[in-house]
Amino acid sequence: METVALTIDGKSVTVEKGKTVLQAAIESGIKVPYYCYHPGLGIDGSCRVCLVKIEKMPKLQVSCSVVAAEGMVVQTETPEVVQARAGVFEFLLINHPLDCPVCDKGGECPLQDFSYAFGPKGSRMEFARRVFDGEGVRADVDFGPTLMLNRNRCILCTRCVRFMRDVDGDAQIGIADRGYGSEIATFKEEGVHSLLSGNLMDVCPVGAITTREYRFKSRPWDNPTAVDTICTLCEKGCNTTVWLKAKPEWAKGAQLARITPRYNPEVNGYWMCDIGRFRLAWIESEARLSQPLVREGNDAQTATTWDHALDTLKRLVGAHGSEHLRFLLSAHASHEEMFALSRLARQLLGDRAQQSCTVSWAASVKSQPEHTTFSVPPIDAPNVAGARLLGLTSVPVGEAEPDLSALRAAVEAGEVRVLYVLDPGPSGSLGDTAWIVDARQSGRIASLVLQGVLESPLAAAADVVLPGACFVEKEACYTNGQGRLQATARAIPPPGQALDDCSIIVRVAAALGRPLDYRSAADIRADIAATRSDEPGLQGIADMAFAQPVATHHWLEASNPMERWKWDVMFQDLPPVKFEEMLKK
Amino acid sequence: MSFHPQMPYGEGWHRSQRRVPPDGPPFAFTPENLARLEDICSHYPPEQRKSAIIAALYLVQEQQGYITGNAMQHVAGVIGCAPAQVEDVVSYYVMFFTRPVGTYVVQVCRTLSCALRGAERVTEALCRHLHVSPGETTPDGMFTVVEFECLGACDRAPVIMVNNEHWHECQDPDKVTELVDALRSDGVAALSGCHLVKER
Repeated sequence: METVALTIDGKSVTVEKGKTVLQAAIESGIKVPYYCYHPGLGIDGSCRVCLVKIEKMPKLQVSCSVVAAEGMVVQTETPEVVQARAGVFEFLLINHPLDCPVCDKGGECPLQDFSYAFGPKGSRMEFARRVFDGEGVRADVDFGPTLMLNRNRCILCTRCVRFMRDVDGDAQIGIADRGYGSEIATFKEEGVHSLLSGNLMDVCPVGAITTREYRFKSRPWDNPTAVDTICTLCEKGCNTTVWLKAKPEWAKGAQLARITPRYNPEVNGYWMCDIGRFRLAWIESEARLSQPLVREGNDAQTATTWDHALDTLKRLVGAHGSEHLRFLLSAHASHEEMFALSRLARQLLGDRAQQSCTVSWAASVKSQPEHTTFSVPPIDAPNVAGARLLGLTSVPVGEAEPDLSALRAAVEAGEVRVLYVLDPGPSGSLGDTAWIVDARQSGRIASLVLQGVLESPLAAAADVVLPGACFVEKEACYTNGQGRLQATARAIPPPGQALDDCSIIVRVAAALGRPLDYRSAADIRADIAATRSDEPGLQGIADMAFAQPVATHHWLEASNPMERWKWDVMFQDLPPVKFEEMLKK
Repeated sequence: MSFHPQMPYGEGWHRSQRRVPPDGPPFAFTPENLARLEDICSHYPPEQRKSAIIAALYLVQEQQGYITGNAMQHVAGVIGCAPAQVEDVVSYYVMFFTRPVGTYVVQVCRTLSCALRGAERVTEALCRHLHVSPGETTPDGMFTVVEFECLGACDRAPVIMVNNEHWHECQDPDKVTELVDALRSDGVAALSGCHLVKER
């Protein structure tokens, strides 16, 4: 790597050749404010707040668009710079409303924080602010199915324009009436229709773009805890942060406030898709299974205890013989669950265990622009690659649809008496299940056992329902489509009597008289590491690190929590998130 | 309170200037125009086809007289960019009209040199003579008066341009009303061009 050495504020800094002065300052922890620059979006130079003095250059320079050169001497704190910067902040606030107390971004807004840090004490502007409200015009306008745009707050940094152009690949946002009438607009006001639209809220440095899903729902200081985890709604496995709202247990509403992307250059960069971001209502919904259910004869299901449910399961399997037992796993099951279940199958069925387990998942082709740089894969499950590693599915890489033909043929032939379904994913994660419901109702399957998280037609048809935990409620490992081993974290507890899926499998094994010697999920991971030590894709599973909930106040003190890449390098005195170390793991 | 007496606040100035382009009639380039556009596009590298947006919009105006939402969408399709990017261009440049214009579009330069030499008075005289305000078209559909940005003939200010072709320099309120009357009676023949006018 070719480097250049320069001096910023008397500190010698060495950066990769080709980086800008601003990037050099950020990397060395020197605080230079900026809005239009975003490491994922490239350089624009429109906000002018990153002004610095560079020796031998006659005027102040915008550091985001000056490439660092050997021997440069940069000053960021001279009176000239401080004054010029304050002037820019004064201009940025000419028209920006000071409605921070009611703004969704308030508390995590770079404009707010940087204005306090670098702006003038007050404004000299005496005239009224520009407002878009009134005369049949509203400042708050619909900005597509997921977003709202408040045009009063926009400071025209064009981050959203560049995001749509460069990352999404379809430049749906433009600037209309350039000049003194400049405003962010979409063609015919039809709004942003994109699978990546939620990222526009992240890149917006002010409260101009907000998501309908999170708008007015919670404020930054209401979310005192956050957990780093991964998204499991497709095989991309985006790294995310789950934000938890502080609320007493009896209070209405969800604890899960929002999910935001977390920077990982090798998986998702700075972004995540709208499916992962907005599909979280099911996690704490009324439709969650919170206690074991059992059906006696043809009666309706009744809620019961774990002991009774496991007794019933044992009786059903005993009545039909374990040789007629089949397992259907959703690819939402983690490595631990898949491995434990396949070991249980081997203990029950011996050599035929391999054929008794089938893995299913849902797949849907996402419609995205041709030139998008963030494509969402068609497989809507996190662990298809993991199932392949564990030998549970033989569907080749690149094939999106699961292969259920063997199981379906066996069900049609009446060879399956008891079907055990494991599905810790959201509704539809097994793909089409109507045929299973149909087979159970027509008696081709005598007994159906569901270990799952959501009420569904399949759960309604089941004889025994065991409530499990979804991906934010357990520590589990998954292998994404790239073959990368990643882990979720336990952000909230499972609802009611629901249990971690691994411990359910261990209890089921004990009830069936074939106990597994696991006391925790860590034991299972150790067993995977021991038995599959030859598999490079599973290396390191035994010492996987699981993130714990952390307090977010230091992020709020710093700046926009969406931009953790910033304070991880800029605010070194705060508990840092060390991506390099995480990546090494 | 305002920073300029000509810029009142509260009354429209600080409102959104945005006007969503109406769809208008269906639009598609004629085969000849499409061929011309492809010829223009061939001057640019294939990955820079967007460079031809302005040329394409001129062709739309030539064909239809003004630019509608449908036309923007068609241009975006032909050029291979997003309609928002086309609208971005249309809403910026004064020479692109989003409503129907008259047979003769009289464009009066209002940039510095012309403004100093009395372009405002030229516009006023023109508007008074035709009973329209700047940007409007006469009811008979003959004339549209538009205030324009620099036409590039500053040494002979004030300048007007008719239909993107005919420059008329060294204008004053009397000359411009005469010119308009001549246009009304003689048609394009009245547009003698600037180079015949002797400097004062």
